[in-house]
Amino acid sequence: MRVTVDVKGEDTHEIDLESVPTDGDAEPTYQDLLCEIELSPHEVSVLVDGRPVPEDQPVDSAELTVLRLIKGGSPSAGG
Amino acid sequence: MDCNRCDAEAVMHAAYSGAHLCDDHFRESVEKRVRRRVRRDDLVPKDATPDDPETWVIGLSGGKDSVVLTTVLHDTFAEDPRIELVGLTIHEGIEGYRDESVDACVELAADLEIRHELVSYEEEFGIRMDDVVEDDPENMAACAYCGVFRRDLLEKYADELGADLLLTGHNLDDEAQTALMNFLEGDVSQIAKHFDASLGPLSEREDQEEFVPRAKPLRDVPEKEVALYAHLEDLPAHITECPHASEAYRGEIQQLLYDLEENHPGTRHSILSGYEEVAGIVADEFNDDAEESADLRECVECGSTTTRERCRKCSLLESLA
Repeated sequence: MRVTVDVKGEDTHEIDLESVPTDGDAEPTYQDLLCEIELSPHEVSVLVDGRPVPEDQPVDSAELTVLRLIKGGSPSAGG
Repeated sequence: MDCNRCDAEAVMHAAYSGAHLCDDHFRESVEKRVRRRVRRDDLVPKDATPDDPETWVIGLSGGKDSVVLTTVLHDTFAEDPRIELVGLTIHEGIEGYRDESVDACVELAADLEIRHELVSYEEEFGIRMDDVVEDDPENMAACAYCGVFRRDLLEKYADELGADLLLTGHNLDDEAQTALMNFLEGDVSQIAKHFDASLGPLSEREDQEEFVPRAKPLRDVPEKEVALYAHLEDLPAHITECPHASEAYRGEIQQLLYDLEENHPGTRHSILSGYEEVAGIVADEFNDDAEESADLRECVECGSTTTRERCRKCSLLESLA
């Protein structure tokens, strides 16, 4: 399956799911996909049809949206 | 994947706890952690009464962290006449950025029906951050100037608003980064100050009569979960990066923590919990040693409490003049 990963405000990636290395799991997870585009699951949320999904689950959608965390500048801004 | 606590579909996985939670149970879990922190840090004094309520001023920037903090505290204390919340927003003079986040703050305060105050660097100091980064007389990162001015205004207005507590939306990632930075810089006195300024339970802190005590009740919640909470609650959080954000060292530490967390889930929690314990011990040590305690005095320019003749804010304003 070819998966389209739209990183909001940045690039859109087309990734061939079969080519994604897995961490010993049978199927690639959302986290494995994030790893392919060098993002940490701790700095993004993955949405499928606008709904957040747990990143440790196998990818079962051909279209994903990735939202990056946004800081309000310095942490002393209180976010 | 189902939620660990019900049959609904999970929306998140917390690798540090192994939990998979649905929308409702995830939000409940965030709210519980904030309330537990409020209790552990003794933020509600036993002598607070409806006749003599506590005023809690929240640094409300309009970003996800302060918006989530304000919302959870409001939901917790809306029916409690002992606590009055006030949102305090600071406009730094950043074109197109802060204007939008101020709108988010105004909308939130109106939704929650809490008092909201807006102050600006321009009105207070006659400067705008857009101009400060152009001039840059001290050859520093934008955040280094901005942090000094923001802290000054937060303290000044918290005092003027009669605050008993000044709350900010620092999350677990922010605090674990700061802890690691202080440790890597070998700055033990800073660690002690951190405890007395904002980390320690109120009952265990050294009395700091000159300053309104601070608190960070969101610091048990990872940044990602704060963002997820804002998304699921559809809160009016502002979502644009500050155009001047430039803390290179903090960025390095942040990346290091992401990598550690990936291989060793729970690293941020353990860093902060160990750091808080050590900070309490070194704060005691520093406070016992009168020689080490800083001599506080009034700034010759503005009268604010400082360890220098002229406070850092006034020195920066002078070099910007």
